[in-house]
Amino acid sequence: MKTLIRLILTLSVVASSVGCNKDDKASTSTAPASLTIGVAFETLQTEYWVAGYEAIKAEAAKRGYKVVEAVADGDANRQFEQVRNFVTRKVDGIILVPKDAKTCIPMIRAANVANIPIVLFNRPADKSDTKSVAVVADNFALTRATVDYMISEAKKTGKRLKAMILVGDLGDINAVGRRDGFDAAVKEAGDTLEVVARVPTEWNQEKAQAGVVNALQANTDISFIFTSSDFLFPSIVSALKGAGKYHKADEPGHVILGGFDGDATAWQMLSDGYLDATGVQDVYFEAQQSVQAIVDLRAGKQLPEVIRDAGFVIHRSNAKEKAAQMWGANVSRK
Amino acid sequence: MNRATSLASRSLHLWATAVLRSEYLVLLLCGVLFTALAPFTPGLATASNFTNLLGNLAPLLVVATGQMLVLIAGGIDLSVTSTIALVSVVGAFVMNGDDGWLKGSAAAAPAAVMVMLGLGALVGLGNGLAVTKLRMPPFIVTLTTMMFLSGLAVWLTKSQPIYHLPAGFTALGSRLWLALPIAAGLTGFAHVLLARSLFGQWLRAVGFNARTARVSGVPEGAVVIGAYIASGLLAAAASVLYTARLETGSPVLGQRILLDVIGATVIGGTSLFGGKGKVLWTFFGVLFLTLLDNALNLLGLSHFTIMMVKGGVIVLAALMDTARNRWLAT
Repeated sequence: MKTLIRLILTLSVVASSVGCNKDDKASTSTAPASLTIGVAFETLQTEYWVAGYEAIKAEAAKRGYKVVEAVADGDANRQFEQVRNFVTRKVDGIILVPKDAKTCIPMIRAANVANIPIVLFNRPADKSDTKSVAVVADNFALTRATVDYMISEAKKTGKRLKAMILVGDLGDINAVGRRDGFDAAVKEAGDTLEVVARVPTEWNQEKAQAGVVNALQANTDISFIFTSSDFLFPSIVSALKGAGKYHKADEPGHVILGGFDGDATAWQMLSDGYLDATGVQDVYFEAQQSVQAIVDLRAGKQLPEVIRDAGFVIHRSNAKEKAAQMWGANVSRK
Repeated sequence: MNRATSLASRSLHLWATAVLRSEYLVLLLCGVLFTALAPFTPGLATASNFTNLLGNLAPLLVVATGQMLVLIAGGIDLSVTSTIALVSVVGAFVMNGDDGWLKGSAAAAPAAVMVMLGLGALVGLGNGLAVTKLRMPPFIVTLTTMMFLSGLAVWLTKSQPIYHLPAGFTALGSRLWLALPIAAGLTGFAHVLLARSLFGQWLRAVGFNARTARVSGVPEGAVVIGAYIASGLLAAAASVLYTARLETGSPVLGQRILLDVIGATVIGGTSLFGGKGKVLWTFFGVLFLTLLDNALNLLGLSHFTIMMVKGGVIVLAALMDTARNRWLAT
């Protein structure tokens, strides 16, 4: 026990001496010559998040700002701890990709209490008493535009097609917006489409693949598939190949395919003639707006709660023209 | 000269043996880690970061203490993370302000906490009965429970987190002076149970050699069931703290902390083969992992670097533990 007490006393002395230095340094520091931005991502598991993270780093580097990163690996509690670490580090601003719209609220509150501007990248928070700015794609409008294009392709067949949608994690407000955009588009195309399968994926490729396989077994004549995120395309392609239904657009038996995000897989499928359309989020615009929002908030400017990224629909007819704006095409070229 | 060298070598050996033999080795490593990183890590040695550290440590310590009790009994509880998730959503069902069963009632938060703890104990009872009465391997029992509870939590909520929990409940997560005494009280009780009670002696005896314990009259089944109930109960208590902290009942709460729970327990010195473990050791193991995670994050290292460093340090700590056991055996 004596050893323990001695150890604790020694550690306390070391801690307090180092601690005092740090606190003193922090309290006497002046305004930073360059900003340090804490970037907390829920995950880097999909191409979109990696591209988003790289775009934020590039935007910060362009302005001479430093980025400190943290990735929570899907754990909201860990992300909460990481945001508190940013607060401890006294970063100048935080860009957050939360796990969902609700668990981020205490994180935003922690930043608010410390008077650190916080911007939510691509995923907004639910309504609460906290203050943040979200830079997000217009999921509803962009999905609707994408599905409208797919419906126009379906009409060319002259048949009433059976359709399937892969729904994301409904705890993610983006997934809800995309599902609603799909529903709004198909509601007005009852003579062209009948939705026979809704596959819940929870943003999980294995669940998506199992769901698509089951749906294709139950409805062998499905010929219209929309996925709420392009990162689920490998699951769809695998299931379609298994069912002998993976054909190019100009081949008989083609299943009309559409998605959302604009990743490298989608670009490849579009280039190869398998994909009909995808709604592209402008990741460069979102990154630029997120960093700018930190600067503006620090300057005391009033910003809207949500900054919208209109995005665009890319399809076979405009692919060459829009490729340079599509982040997935750029990733693919690298 | 030779004699002097021999004396120096012997002194070094004695010192190294004393250090390795010490049950405070992991605490010493925490001190070394802190002292080595503090000058280079912005914010590590500040009062606000100590508050962060304690806040991060409290719930992990609670759940790791439960894991330690099961490990001492010669089992393992892989279901703690899913228990945390299920308990979180059921508690939120009871007390949330939107459509909670006790919505608006002053009794909502206390009732929810009681339901959460009861559910955790019930999960532990199920695990314990399966291990003792059905003679199923703990690994398979708790792995299956983990999958079942995880699926149940997602199914109950349709994957939707539940918000609008009472302020009296969320205060448990946002106010350290409330969370710390809860964690300290629970682990203190576990310490007394383990170090000062007959149950503690039985637990170690069962874990060390179940057959001998049985022959000696130890109620092996009841002891093992008790350990699993304690583990479920403590996982539920940790869930109360985690849920309050995020102000949300989440069906995926705590899904990624299993390695931290088992890693911290084993780093502390609890044997994976049963019969050996202390609450104090678990505290040191949790402190070590929490400090490491905190420091690496503050250093601003990339996610991938942090994962590699953390994995490497855990392996190193496990190797040191093995070396210590071998050294002391000779």
